[in-house]
Amino acid sequence: MSAAATRRTAWRGFFLALPPVAFIALFAGMPIVLAFLFTLGYGGGLNEITALIGQDVYLADGPPGTVEPYRVVFASGRFREDLIVTILVTIVSTLIVITVALAIALFLRLRGGRIANLLTILTIVPMFIPVVISAYALRTFYSDIGFLPTLFAQVGATGPAFAYSVPGLVIGSVWTNLPFAVLMISSGVAAVPDSVIDAARDSGAGLLRTTGSVILPMAMVPIVIATTFTAIGIIGSFTIPYFLGRNSQTMLGVDIASYFIAFNRPQQAIVMAFVVFALASLIAATYVWANFRQAKEADQV
Amino acid sequence: MKSKSLAVLAVTALAVTGLAGCAQKSNDSGGSTPAAGGTGGSGAGEVRVYIGADTNIKDLWEKSVKPGFEKANPGTTLKIDFDDHEEHGTQNLAKLTAAEKSGNDAGWDLMDGGIVLQAADAGVLEQVTKDQVKGLADVPEDTLKAGGKGGIPYRGSSVLLAYNPKLVASPPATYDDLMAWIKANPGKFTYNSPKSGGSGGAFVTTVLDKNLPADTAKTLRTTYDKNLLTQWKPGWDALRALNPYVYQKGVYPTGNKGSIELLANGQIAMTPVWSDMFISGQKSGTIPKDMKATQIANPSFTGGAAYLGIPAHAKNKANAIKLADYLLSAEAQNMIAKDIAGYPVIPLSKLPQETQATFKDAHPENLRAGYFDKVNKDRDLAWDQEVPGK
Repeated sequence: MSAAATRRTAWRGFFLALPPVAFIALFAGMPIVLAFLFTLGYGGGLNEITALIGQDVYLADGPPGTVEPYRVVFASGRFREDLIVTILVTIVSTLIVITVALAIALFLRLRGGRIANLLTILTIVPMFIPVVISAYALRTFYSDIGFLPTLFAQVGATGPAFAYSVPGLVIGSVWTNLPFAVLMISSGVAAVPDSVIDAARDSGAGLLRTTGSVILPMAMVPIVIATTFTAIGIIGSFTIPYFLGRNSQTMLGVDIASYFIAFNRPQQAIVMAFVVFALASLIAATYVWANFRQAKEADQV
Repeated sequence: MKSKSLAVLAVTALAVTGLAGCAQKSNDSGGSTPAAGGTGGSGAGEVRVYIGADTNIKDLWEKSVKPGFEKANPGTTLKIDFDDHEEHGTQNLAKLTAAEKSGNDAGWDLMDGGIVLQAADAGVLEQVTKDQVKGLADVPEDTLKAGGKGGIPYRGSSVLLAYNPKLVASPPATYDDLMAWIKANPGKFTYNSPKSGGSGGAFVTTVLDKNLPADTAKTLRTTYDKNLLTQWKPGWDALRALNPYVYQKGVYPTGNKGSIELLANGQIAMTPVWSDMFISGQKSGTIPKDMKATQIANPSFTGGAAYLGIPAHAKNKANAIKLADYLLSAEAQNMIAKDIAGYPVIPLSKLPQETQATFKDAHPENLRAGYFDKVNKDRDLAWDQEVPGK
């Protein structure tokens, strides 16, 4: 391609991308920039009303702004505790979701049959139930007069009550996030050609070797996508911790809502939102990196 | 390779300039919008009411207040804008404040909801006088003061102690009895987190008050003074000491309904409830008929008034004042008492015999008020940090 032709293609691509970019800049970009400026103490312009209504709003006289809102939030023991709970729940739930989804996908791919199909369908059911309803149902099911304690009581033992606890948050997060991961990973694993698996087996590779050296690497991108989306979904979740969490040791999604509405502290709420945003960006970065690596291996870059 | 990075750069640059352009534009339009609606229009015959509350309050307005007011003021229509559970409270408050600051009509003439006190504090409400709303002369001074700049009290309710008679033969009669009962019956009491509902909030306020000098407690009813809040410390210690004795060693449910649910299921034996929620809940069946409620003494649980507000630049301000005046009349106060079991804010002696009899034990005139709105927000935040899980 000549230099001129390359440039022409680039410009055409640029104009094609223009409407969505402009749309995002207007409806997502600008509010984010405004909110970020507000956390740095810029209370003028469109932030004026929020600054006027909120309590404990720290304002700066001019650039470069103030980090006082961040200092106040990070100085709060409550925030640090909930940040740890949020990260912990995210990591544990994501690991469980991906492990279970992977096991189901491999079972479906390598064994197949009626049971495998049934299992897949069952795990997808939560996708069709609104989260509010399922969170409420989970709370009732795992409460201290729920299923497990009632069952244990039949034999005179005390069963665990997971509602209002950190393990309850993990159960709820796994429940709501499993369907997407199962769909994503099972389709990725299903896309590995039979011939490749047969070839591996012909060369004497066992089940573990076939999975580890052939199927997993070939299904890497869907697995990474499922992992990052699950983790991002859990880190910002609200409904599950709102229903299943305790008042302390809960997740930041609930804290943000409390600070914004109940405590009338919009600035601190936005600071917390940016912390979650930063964590989610870190997760998203691994997704971009994995995609890039995949493309590089395929010589597309 | 090179062309790609160039394109990326160009897109980024455009996004940034686009942003700057937007910011510029919206600033301009914000400043130069002419007073939309303004003073003109044929608003003479209507009054637009904002309600941010539960459905029982909506029913009160639609089924009793509206017909009554329209009958008393022929030719005036009452229009209702209902925000269920005031879910959009923050946005509505922002809309009101933004309109008022630029001298415009926000679309409501009279407001009834939790955001009224915040609006009063932001100084965007009309400060009505006792000549305009005659009923105000009969309202206790402290209730008026707690309304800040322009809050008009029009109904009250208090928090009671609900209990399950099957599990509690004789309920505690005083504050000290209640504390002793909680410690003697671990796991059988809880209250909802104060940020999520006023009944738990009233319990917290009551414990804090018991551990405060009387004059400090009084000041916090009408003023927001951050320096006084450090005196809450012994109160927080007392609340923290309850953690091991509360349901599941420290579970505080979400919302007024959350604690009622635990009581109805028999998971706990006692919890604070709003008087009006308890009465209407028993009527609708969400609270079993055999549950009972009582008030403790020395000190009693707090209660408080609900406030109306008239935006200073409301289009139909005159009609709104008429409506507020009507709501504080004996006729409307009686509706509030009958329809939603709300406490009247004017003296009981001005109401019919029948209503007086219903409320003779509740003593609405002795209502112990809650804290000033901003103080409550600080209380909720501090509770979150000081009590659960500590």
